[in-house]
Amino acid sequence: MVADGPVSSIHSVEELLKLVALACTVASAAIILWYLVRRPPLGRVTKVLLLLGLGLLPVMVALTGNIAGYEFTLSRQFCGSCHVMGPYVRDAGDPKSQSLAAIHSRNHKFGEQSCYTCHADYDMFGAITTKLTGLRHLFHYVSEYAGTGPDGEGGPTIKLYKRQDLEKGKVTLAAFNGRMNGVCGQCHSTYAATWVEKHGAFADDVRSNAQICIDCHNEIHPTALARRPGAPAAEEKK
Amino acid sequence: MRHEQVKKLVFISGVATLAALALMACSILWPSPLLLVVAMSVGQGLGTLSLALYLLAIVLDLQGGSGSLDAAAEDRIESAGEAKSSTP
Repeated sequence: MVADGPVSSIHSVEELLKLVALACTVASAAIILWYLVRRPPLGRVTKVLLLLGLGLLPVMVALTGNIAGYEFTLSRQFCGSCHVMGPYVRDAGDPKSQSLAAIHSRNHKFGEQSCYTCHADYDMFGAITTKLTGLRHLFHYVSEYAGTGPDGEGGPTIKLYKRQDLEKGKVTLAAFNGRMNGVCGQCHSTYAATWVEKHGAFADDVRSNAQICIDCHNEIHPTALARRPGAPAAEEKK
Repeated sequence: MRHEQVKKLVFISGVATLAALALMACSILWPSPLLLVVAMSVGQGLGTLSLALYLLAIVLDLQGGSGSLDAAAEDRIESAGEAKSSTP
């Protein structure tokens, strides 16, 4: 029989780390408050206790909090916490939707991290470059979308950095195409018999990155803001 | 004079750590993009600064030799407490 309480509600490493971080926060705060209220002389015992409260425990809070925070930033819930992402996240979570985003989100390998799985850079420093791009997202969100409608109506059209980099000449077409196909290639092999059967005529073009998957499979986020009636046509691809 | 300086540094360090802990705890309890960024930058910067202040206070304390005096004072307080508790 499992006892009711906080321990029984821990289902993941992220939740365990959060609990450790909060326990360390409470212990550290208790030591500091004890010192600030009692003001004991700075003897050996007090110094060691303060080293614990001002040094070791806060470091533990930072470490476990960082990992838990990073894990949370991978989730669809995190991406959806900016209202501009509402149409995208609602579509991804719609069990009846046939968009690529929704179909992939129903796959348990993507599941609650479906945004990150497709939009993250997958190369060596991919996690770092993705998070740096996230900071740019946050800046644009705060500076351009803060006062917009419930789904970001009235704000500028959402543009995707990878395609912007291509348009500005920061990356070559070969590099851009390789990156795009690489995202799909994380799961879809261009040498699987069923894939070759369906894509026979394009197989070599896709393998050499002369053609990208989303040229044809372009129903990624059909409910996205840019595709609403009256909205200006915009790039929908990554 | 130095003793007062050390006490002030430890006090500032304690208050700064409490603020850093509050920011980090908020980002854990109510995670949102802005709060996470603030906790991981301002919160952790404040925490690092307060630890540096505490270590500086300890170095100043040891240089001034007041550490041994305080330890002696603390020992006297502890022994006084023990004597009180053992008295019927």
